[in-house]
Amino acid sequence: MNRVMSDLALGVRLAVGGSRKSWARLALQGVGIGLGVALLLFAASLPSVMEARDDRQDARNPVTEGAGPAPLLAIEQGHPFRSEYIRGSYLKARSPEAPVPPGIDRVPGDGEIFVSPALAALLDAPGGELLKPRFPQKVIGTIGQAGLQNPNELHFYAGDAKIQEEPDGNTVYGWGVPNDGGGLNPVLWLLSVVGLVVLLFPVLVFVGVATRLAAAQRDRRLAALRLVGAAASRVRLIASGEALAGALAGLVVGFGIFFAVRPSVNGISIAELSTFSSDVMPAPALTVTVVVAVPVLAVVTSLVAMRRTIIEPLGVVRDQKPVRRRLWWRLVPVAAGVALLVSQIGELSATARPDPWPVVTGIVLLMLGIPVLLPWLVERVVFTVRGGSPALQLAVRRLQLDSGTAARVVGGVAVVLAGTVTLQMTLAGVEQDVRTNEEKEASFSYLTINPDPAVDPGAITAALEKTAGVDGVHEIGRTFGELNSGEYVVVTIASCEALRSQATVPDCVDGKAYVVPFSNGLVEAKAGDVLTIKKSGERWTVPAVETVEGTRPGLVVTPAAARGLRAEQFELIAVLDGAVPDVAEHTRNALAAYPWQMHTYFVGQDDTNEAERVFGVIRRALLAGSLLTLLVAAGSLLVVALEQVRERRRPLAVMAASGVPRGTLARSLLWQNALPLAISTVVSLATGIGLGVLVMRVSGSSVAFDWAGIGLVTAVVVGLTLAVTALTLPSLRRATGALGLRTE
Amino acid sequence: MSIGHALLGLLEGGPRHGYDLKRSYDERFGQDRPLHYGQVYSTLSRLLKNGLVTEAGVEAGDGPERKRYAITDAGVTDVERWLSTPEKPEPYLQNTLYAKVVLALLSGRSATEVLDAQRAAHLTTMRELTKRKVDGDLADQLICDFALFHLEADLRWLELTAARLDQLAVEVTR
Amino acid sequence: MSLLKAEGLFKSFGKTHALDGADISIRAGEVVAVMGPSGSGKSTLLHCIAGILPPDKGTVHYSGQDLTAMNDSKRSELRRTEFGFVFQFGQLVPELTCLENVALPLRLSGMKRKDAERASRDWLARLEVDGVADQRPGETSGGQGQRVAVARALVTRPKVIFADEPTGALDSLNGERVMHLLTTAARETGAAVVLVTHEPRVAAYSDREVVVRDGRSRDVEFAR
Ligand SMILES: Nc1ncnc2c1ncn2[C@@H]1O[C@H](COP(=O)(O)OP(=O)(O)O)[C@@H](O)[C@H]1O
Ligand SMILES: [Mg+2]
Repeated sequence: MNRVMSDLALGVRLAVGGSRKSWARLALQGVGIGLGVALLLFAASLPSVMEARDDRQDARNPVTEGAGPAPLLAIEQGHPFRSEYIRGSYLKARSPEAPVPPGIDRVPGDGEIFVSPALAALLDAPGGELLKPRFPQKVIGTIGQAGLQNPNELHFYAGDAKIQEEPDGNTVYGWGVPNDGGGLNPVLWLLSVVGLVVLLFPVLVFVGVATRLAAAQRDRRLAALRLVGAAASRVRLIASGEALAGALAGLVVGFGIFFAVRPSVNGISIAELSTFSSDVMPAPALTVTVVVAVPVLAVVTSLVAMRRTIIEPLGVVRDQKPVRRRLWWRLVPVAAGVALLVSQIGELSATARPDPWPVVTGIVLLMLGIPVLLPWLVERVVFTVRGGSPALQLAVRRLQLDSGTAARVVGGVAVVLAGTVTLQMTLAGVEQDVRTNEEKEASFSYLTINPDPAVDPGAITAALEKTAGVDGVHEIGRTFGELNSGEYVVVTIASCEALRSQATVPDCVDGKAYVVPFSNGLVEAKAGDVLTIKKSGERWTVPAVETVEGTRPGLVVTPAAARGLRAEQFELIAVLDGAVPDVAEHTRNALAAYPWQMHTYFVGQDDTNEAERVFGVIRRALLAGSLLTLLVAAGSLLVVALEQVRERRRPLAVMAASGVPRGTLARSLLWQNALPLAISTVVSLATGIGLGVLVMRVSGSSVAFDWAGIGLVTAVVVGLTLAVTALTLPSLRRATGALGLRTE
Repeated sequence: MSIGHALLGLLEGGPRHGYDLKRSYDERFGQDRPLHYGQVYSTLSRLLKNGLVTEAGVEAGDGPERKRYAITDAGVTDVERWLSTPEKPEPYLQNTLYAKVVLALLSGRSATEVLDAQRAAHLTTMRELTKRKVDGDLADQLICDFALFHLEADLRWLELTAARLDQLAVEVTR
Repeated sequence: MSLLKAEGLFKSFGKTHALDGADISIRAGEVVAVMGPSGSGKSTLLHCIAGILPPDKGTVHYSGQDLTAMNDSKRSELRRTEFGFVFQFGQLVPELTCLENVALPLRLSGMKRKDAERASRDWLARLEVDGVADQRPGETSGGQGQRVAVARALVTRPKVIFADEPTGALDSLNGERVMHLLTTAARETGAAVVLVTHEPRVAAYSDREVVVRDGRSRDVEFAR
């Protein structure tokens, strides 16, 4: 035991060494591993972030049942405003003991309101006047953290004396009810899984790479130890000691970065992503995992890489030809991953979440397959390159001798690239669906109003008709049924005039029936199908239908064709003049007298295009993430390149002395960086696109290619290659000066 | 090793008795083989005969040990010629070379030049030997190599001496 | 008539005056040994006259051109085409095979790979190391490596070969063999050799010697 410790200590001492060079190496390792550790810590905080949000959400769920008269009445309501959605509750206290919702200090009285900081900001911002009519109350305070899910949430609590107790339960006896919630939409869920894997996997790869910085030198040093008679087991221990030193430095740096960055998470502009920094607490179990796994990973990587040194100490000392890599086991993860994903095709429907493990395991295996396969592939390619310029020859020969280091670094790059491409494709697929929908809506312009049954429709109609930009108001009916296949169908009953506002029905006459297909082309009902009406249980046979374009998928029937059908719900449709700016908001303001008695939904050309914004934000976040990872990768590549120049100082100096132009040497460096990167880019694009197609098949969305994004990422890789090479040039210049010729 | 040149060199510092000369010589060059008086007087009388030294007065008493000798101009020229002519490169030269270096230092001449001239002479010989070796058969090669290694040893000694001249100058002139 | 002539060279590294007024003159085809104790400035002199290092003061003329007035790329080209170099060790590119190492300067001058390698193989044979043509330098012995280096220096048929302690890392037998092969080949191709060495037996392969001491050189020929 004593000897084990002393060998480990010798390793640490060799790593720290005391010379400036070894400190620089340790610092680089620390930063490299530290970035990874910081990312891992943030990932490890996700559970606590989610939990804190859920806890606060639960805490503001009303307790609707209790003994005696309810002390409080509450109606939850959402107000759409342009592309924002403002949620909150209208409250009426019926006793002084009325329970106070979390985040505020008292129940607001009639005409008073508490707003979240983000809502206060929105109201004060330019354009806020358009929202003010819907919040005429006196602002008496802001909602604290306890009442908000995230720092940028738009939320309010307003007092309203007009609220009456309703039979379906607007009574509140207290606050705080656990709620299982709906969970994430399956496609989003899949996206998150892919995203997490894509972000975290390269981190692991880079931790591995960082521990192998200056590896050639270290191998030689350890080979020398081996030559003077150290047993293999002792060399392993010493190597572990060296790796440990780097990993520990990385942990320290990582925690430093984590705590330095943590305060800025509540400034994130996308509300759903913004987080109270106090919520960001790495889960203890996961933290321990990180703290243990990083050094273990470092040690294992360095031990695996040490195999050759240990078996063949002379080979390292003498730069012999390395052993060729074998292929078969490198194919295993890729093959297994593809098989798993293929087996899941079609399992994920719009609502059902499949067993997550095959999908996640498949993705992880496929991603793992890239860095495993790349060293073999790079080696294979560099061994087949023949001829070419002296610069290419130098690079190729160099890579033949040691393609491993470069391949490992670009393996990390490849995972990022593949993941980014996959995510971009998945996004593009989802976006395409959303866009088709939007385009369809853009050719119409109307606001639907679902009023509370207690409200007099006449009064609403009157209010609407007085509003500028409202071209007409129609009433339509709705009912809901189920086909024999179990498919759920919405039936809209409306006059031809009302229909025209929401579907393309040029030759509509009373008595016709239509079906509007879903955006993915699916038609749900056809003539002769039997529909069982939900509420009454009556059966109704679908008449002859025409398929038309429209904004609301389902059956659309004119009154004469709707014989035997009774509308369960009525809604008003205000046809809007798209030429009037902000017409939807003005119309909503016209209905501000009914703050909680109705829901509105606008169909038409938004001035701020929702999809554009959301997808833009997501795409930018994704791009930023992958750029960050690529930057880390470029950093590793740079370190490796600098190392290699330093290591080969003498031959480089001699070549320069014998008149080899610097340009040739620089070009050979470029080739040396570019070849592995080019190979990895091709592999990762192929994997990314393949994985994208598989994932989209699994999730059942349409396959789309985001060529612009793929092009951009590829361009970035090319740029990084050039940048890394350019940054290596000064050290090349230094090495090729006459000073490089000096024998120590 | 030319005792005559050595004595002449020592006389350049000023006139001396024969006994003095013997002592100086033994001190500097005669570590293992001190001069006999006979050698000193026979050499001095040869130099006297050749006009390289003169008698510079006699002290009271008789016998040759009472005579003082001084170097003549011809003697100085002779020393100079001797110093500037490299020795024929052959093994076991060190005594002579050492004497030359010391006398050059004593008399304020350039010891470096003595060494350089000697190096040149040695190298010339080594070049000839190398040529013969390269063109010759194995026997030639072995014989030449023997000579070459010895000459190399001389040259190494020369280089070493050259590197320590400053130190030596301090010591001999003390 | 001298092919390469340097006058009054000064070169300092910080406080060290590596060259302190050195002169040297090399005639076409002659083998000149540059001798002197270690640290006397021999290598610095070689670097300066070969156009690797610009001197602080002084001129270097090579067949009528002033090296000190040339820019770096011009000097590079001169070194590549007119000069050849052999150093003590570590001069072969470790990744390339010995054959490719020798062929490298030819390929840099635009020769086709096949032709370059054919010529290189001949040179390796001449230096009696064709056996290691396809091995990497790391797999050869010191003597073989130096011979490969000599082959590389000669393959472009340079006018001057600069050799800085070419036998410094070899035993005497190997060292002499390398010297013999180097000087013979140089004489056959008419190349001059500037041979930096502190070993007399190596210097004996030269036609004459130049001694460097404390950054100053004594070149007997130069005065003439
Ligand atoms: N790049 C350099 N930096 C600092 N000092 C140097 C450098 N090159 C040479 N010197 C110094 O210049 C002197 C001469 O060096 P060098 O020419 O290598 O001598 P030699 O080759 O004769 O052994 C030495 O003192 C050496 O330390
Ligand atoms: Mg030197």
